[in-house]
Amino acid sequence: MSSSLLLQQVLNGLAIGSVYAIFALGYTLIFSILRIINFTHGAIFTLGAYATYALTGARFGFNGLLANAALPLHLPFVLALIGGALFAAVSGVIVERLAFRPLRTRGSDPLLTLVSSLGVAVALVNVIQYLFGAEAYSYPADPFGQLPSAMNFGTSTEPVLVRTVQVIIFGVSMVVLALLTVLMNATRTGKALRAVAEDTVTASLLGINTDRLILLTFVISGFLGGVSGTLIGLSVGIAGPYFGIAFGLKGLAVIVLGGLGDIPGAVVGGLLIGLAESFVPAQYIAYREAVPFALLFVVLLLRPQGLLGRAVVQKV
Amino acid sequence: MSAGATPAPLLALDDLSIHYGRVQALEHVSLDVRAGEVVTLIGANGAGKSTTLRSISRIVPIHRGRIAFDGRDISGVRPSDAVRMGIAQVPEGRRMLARQSVLDNLLLGAYTRSDSAGIQADVERQFVRFPRLAERRRQLAGTLSGGEQQMLAIARALMSRPRLLLLDEPSLGLAPLIVRGIFDIIRELHAAGVTILLVEQNASLALQIADRAYVLEAGRLTISGHAAELLTDERVRRAYLG
Repeated sequence: MSSSLLLQQVLNGLAIGSVYAIFALGYTLIFSILRIINFTHGAIFTLGAYATYALTGARFGFNGLLANAALPLHLPFVLALIGGALFAAVSGVIVERLAFRPLRTRGSDPLLTLVSSLGVAVALVNVIQYLFGAEAYSYPADPFGQLPSAMNFGTSTEPVLVRTVQVIIFGVSMVVLALLTVLMNATRTGKALRAVAEDTVTASLLGINTDRLILLTFVISGFLGGVSGTLIGLSVGIAGPYFGIAFGLKGLAVIVLGGLGDIPGAVVGGLLIGLAESFVPAQYIAYREAVPFALLFVVLLLRPQGLLGRAVVQKV
Repeated sequence: MSAGATPAPLLALDDLSIHYGRVQALEHVSLDVRAGEVVTLIGANGAGKSTTLRSISRIVPIHRGRIAFDGRDISGVRPSDAVRMGIAQVPEGRRMLARQSVLDNLLLGAYTRSDSAGIQADVERQFVRFPRLAERRRQLAGTLSGGEQQMLAIARALMSRPRLLLLDEPSLGLAPLIVRGIFDIIRELHAAGVTILLVEQNASLALQIADRAYVLEAGRLTISGHAAELLTDERVRRAYLG
């Protein structure tokens, strides 16, 4: 493999991996606080992608209830992306209220909440299909105006071409990641969130309204899911209502690989899986979807707690 | 106790009953704490002492009876509102936020406040009271020794400027010398006018420091009175003072 090809694969891997990372952080934040995998995350990812599509003013297909409908506005793509993510964040709030809080206030088994979130995920996907049909969608061409379709990261004699979309995806993911890092580590709210994650009872004893912070976690998680849905849609198109389900499973591989509930772990896991996928040779491309799980298998054999996860210590 | 002229208590539990599933944890418990007092609740392991404090902090549901703080019924408020109203708890086992620094633990103790200048001044005040914490302000709380963690737990609770401080087993698992230091601090807080409800297994230490005491046995209050009297009470001596 030539060094320019290598660099190209690395850049592509980082771009896709950075989306895996912010998507997986949506799982991680909720898991770190509630110790529950939120199975609606994949559906919220899909919702975000569809919402962005609608906000650009693009028309829906002819199959669903909203056949041929289009919003009477044409937001620039960046605003549509933010709007789609906000829509996903609001969806996160509704999911928390409907599927999580009622069970939590009754002190139900976490397993029930898991099933409840799975049920909501299935319902959401079906609502999407009912409304918009099962067809694939793709965002309007050149969403960022007159940018060239690829950028050269090499020299003119030895070009390293990377699709502009990948560069944008990487940039957006990094901005989101930076904002989240600042929020979690340098603000009062972030420290309170970490306190709730570490020990909910102690957090309440310090006067932290844990219900409100759990809701905030769902807002952030939904936002991250929505942004990643749009970014993946931008890269490969929206493959239909089930678009988020396969991606959701990959996200699970990312968080288990990095260490459940660990924020840096989700980032490392996401980048690693993105890189591993991009190094699958073209003739074996059909096996690419298996790579994250193969990697997960190997890592778990060696480190059952994940790459950065803490080994479970029994409290005395 | 003089009748009639006593002011309304700061804290009053009235006929409080709590159960966990089918296990009765507290039955018909009524007690009160007046402003400026140190009141201790002693009893064997599992008698319901911690449950009493957890109910006052509103982290366990109440099945019967009511809790009044400063004349207001707080039986239905959230834990965070209880802190906001002036009730802080130093929980059993100290419950550090082990992955945050000493300083961040203190700042989170002031989560209900928004006067940043006052918070800053109070942080410095805690560092004067507990010089060991000042030396370790950047360290993760999980790396502190047991005694230091207990100091941090007390300092953190004080950061909310409580009107009532609930202390749950502050001597638990600490060396005698450290325990003496912790009780000196409780005495200082008492002298400074802080109202304290102290739960302790070490009954003799608790009775020496307290104004009044209640004895809890299997979820029911059995004996109450001035701490000095309980120290010489034959039943208390036999059961708790050895």
